[in-house]
Amino acid sequence: MKTDNKEIVMPDYDAIVIGAGNGGLTASAALAQAGKKVLLLEKHNIPGGCGTSFRRGRFEFEVALHQLSGMGSGEKPGPLRHILKKLEVEDKVDWVEMDKLYRVVLPGRLDVTIPAEKEAAIKYLEERFPEEKEQFRKFYDFVYKYIIESFTVSRTPAVQVEREKFPLYFKYNLKSSQEVMDEFFKDPLIHLSLNVYWSFMGLPPSKLPFDILAGNIFIYLEFKPYHLRGGSQVMSTALTETVLKYGGDIKFNCGAERIIVEDGAVRGVVTEHGDEFTAPCIISNISPVRTYVDMIAQSLVPDEAIYNMGNSKVSVSAFTIFIGLDCEPGELGFKESMNLFYALQDVNDSFAASRRLDTDEDGFIVSCYTLDDPHFSPPGTSQVVVVCLKYGEPWMELPPELYHETKYRCADTLLRRVEEQFPGFREHIEEMEVATPLTHMRYLRHPNGAVYGFDQDLKDTGIFMQKKSPVQGLYFASGWVEVNGFQPTLTAGYTTARRVLKKMNGEGK
Amino acid sequence: MKEYVKLIDGYDDVNKEVEISRRYGKDYRSEKGRTQRIIDLYHPDFIDFTVSEIIKESVTAKTFRLVPKSGYLPPFQAGQYINVYGEVQGVCTSRPYSISSSPRQRAYYDITVARIENGFFSNYLLDDVKRGDSIRTSAPSGSFYYNPLFHGKSSVFIAGGSGITPFMSMIREICDAGLDRDITLLYGNRTTASILFHDELDDLAYRYPDFKYIPVIAEPPMGYKGVRGFISASCIENCVDDVRDCTYYLCGPEAMYDYCMPELEGMNIPRKRIRKEMFSTSTDVTKAEGWPQSLTGSEEFTVKVKGKKDVKARSGETLLASLERAGITVPVNCRCGECSLCRVKLVSGKVFTPRGVLLREADVKFGYIHSCKAYPLEDLEIIL
Repeated sequence: MKTDNKEIVMPDYDAIVIGAGNGGLTASAALAQAGKKVLLLEKHNIPGGCGTSFRRGRFEFEVALHQLSGMGSGEKPGPLRHILKKLEVEDKVDWVEMDKLYRVVLPGRLDVTIPAEKEAAIKYLEERFPEEKEQFRKFYDFVYKYIIESFTVSRTPAVQVEREKFPLYFKYNLKSSQEVMDEFFKDPLIHLSLNVYWSFMGLPPSKLPFDILAGNIFIYLEFKPYHLRGGSQVMSTALTETVLKYGGDIKFNCGAERIIVEDGAVRGVVTEHGDEFTAPCIISNISPVRTYVDMIAQSLVPDEAIYNMGNSKVSVSAFTIFIGLDCEPGELGFKESMNLFYALQDVNDSFAASRRLDTDEDGFIVSCYTLDDPHFSPPGTSQVVVVCLKYGEPWMELPPELYHETKYRCADTLLRRVEEQFPGFREHIEEMEVATPLTHMRYLRHPNGAVYGFDQDLKDTGIFMQKKSPVQGLYFASGWVEVNGFQPTLTAGYTTARRVLKKMNGEGK
Repeated sequence: MKEYVKLIDGYDDVNKEVEISRRYGKDYRSEKGRTQRIIDLYHPDFIDFTVSEIIKESVTAKTFRLVPKSGYLPPFQAGQYINVYGEVQGVCTSRPYSISSSPRQRAYYDITVARIENGFFSNYLLDDVKRGDSIRTSAPSGSFYYNPLFHGKSSVFIAGGSGITPFMSMIREICDAGLDRDITLLYGNRTTASILFHDELDDLAYRYPDFKYIPVIAEPPMGYKGVRGFISASCIENCVDDVRDCTYYLCGPEAMYDYCMPELEGMNIPRKRIRKEMFSTSTDVTKAEGWPQSLTGSEEFTVKVKGKKDVKARSGETLLASLERAGITVPVNCRCGECSLCRVKLVSGKVFTPRGVLLREADVKFGYIHSCKAYPLEDLEIIL
């Protein structure tokens, strides 16, 4: 309807979502499904953010997903399955359940593979570490009890939350993983066997909140690690199907350039192509750094937003080698899909290597996807991804002329370490691509190529995290304001959409 | 923040740390534009060039020397290409060209353009672009390059016609920088007149014993002393010392791949030892494997583009070209089915996708196509 009165011009959309990463996708899908008019803007030509894939030769490489948490089976659905079912994705994807959590190796000293079932895990560890045998059941029971308390706290009215009811929560919520592990175990090799999820979160146990480690241990044991056929790209694209089905608009190759703010509230977005779209609600699935610093005129950004970010440190990025082998996994001795190799027995020490270019001391993951799903690469081949966590700074300081040779040198070191574990490995390489922190920066447009948002240490997670924006109508949904990983970010988008819907329907604030 | 939070053990310490690091922590306003600036050092959205020189390479080919207006050139790996944008006869389009200059010099990129039959974009470059003109291109990309981690020291370059260009970049780099590599170049041409860079290659082979240059001429002049015919298995075996120990790189017209691939397979060269550049030159798609017999290539269909006007498209032409002709800009880079930039959603209708297009599993599953290598077989409905 045409009108000359500017005051009552209807906005183009109910909500604009910036970025089609996990959080942006679930937020858009949930809003569209609720009948809201949604515009999803994505700078890249495909959806997914980290949840994506790329082709080389006859291989399609999974970029980021190693093990999806929170799915659970059809009979025992986990929290993520509920969300994906609601968003009409569950049936569009073939899910693959894994029966092992992971294998950890410190050459010559440790080689353990933990089953993805609580009792079996306890039994396995008791046999492997008889000296501290009695501790394992205590530890796992403690983790479960802690997580149940922590979950219950989040569902209990604040006035009813008391130390007497939730003793573990009050004692351990602000402890580091290292502190808690030290209470239970002496042998550093046990620590190595149990603190693996530091690598999914991008912080060493001395900094990683126990709350997050416990959450990972619980969720992967209870609901098993999952993979999906075709990789995370299938899930990402399936989510866009839901957005489109319910009338949402998606623009690829169309990044948001500017957020229009008037009177302390968002009014819309200007795209990189100069098109303007209006909406009273904007959900940012990109970094708060870019959102506040690059997209909103400085004079319109509340000081509070910048001040609060001062507490946050941009997280680690990754150095990743994507490899297609011309043989089956068994031929090279692959037995487990998820392997973590160390050079040092203390993760806190080996994490220090993440500040350097060289890859000689880092702990690194070798994921062989083809083991769990033979369809993951063509018959007679394997797909393997080797990854270690690396901060972006040394790469950002590198003169561009030295980029390619540095990339190959660092990859060569890592490949030599892989070759020690799987002799003959290099001979079978048919396709390969190396991604550095700068590659992640290019595709994600995150500061420092960060893959885990802001560092989620004790002072910047859970209760201290800044989720709410002082700009009215601006919301965040991503690993920058939530715990990281696929399940948390997919969930974040969904819950943000629910919050927005409540507000739109006049229920919340 | 909820009140009970303050009663969690350790709250006061952590809270103090939060307050201190907010007060003295990073002011992220200092990051303004930084991420983009770093990305632009490697992968700017486009590069604006001045044509500083046009060098005649043969009767039909010219090298365009491109000097960046900003003074800065992103690094690239020898073998990579840039996509050159231009407006030809009112149509905004583009073509990818391999960079033929060495990545070791940072002043310019050279692209070498040969005239092709019924060429559209190449004619524009060869006939209309003058020294001093401005040209816009993409940043370098592509995955046809030497990977020192697994390709091995010995390489056999198999080039056909203007497919020599990525190899020129590689050979120039290897010779100029004295890299420890053994190279045999088998360069196929129909006649000696179409050989590009002959004198330079001859000179490099003379000066660098680890570089062997062997032109292979299909229709040589009377009394020609060099190698004749095509680049066959026996030709390769005659020219290369240890055929099993080499990695083979192919770049040339489709007919060359059709001929050389079975030859290499016949020699039992494993797949991982053969690297092929995707080649975008438009050959007659109706002769491609799997093309439906009922269509001639000249049928006209209507393409409904969501939110835009309807477009007429011929079955024998890529959807991308039809969209461009109708004035609809589709982001694109490789134009040969590899990079996925031109991906669009096919809502209804059928397209023909030739062999070798690198679609993702999710794209196949949910009906996305690469418009640069999709030929309409009926009326279509798409979302850009």
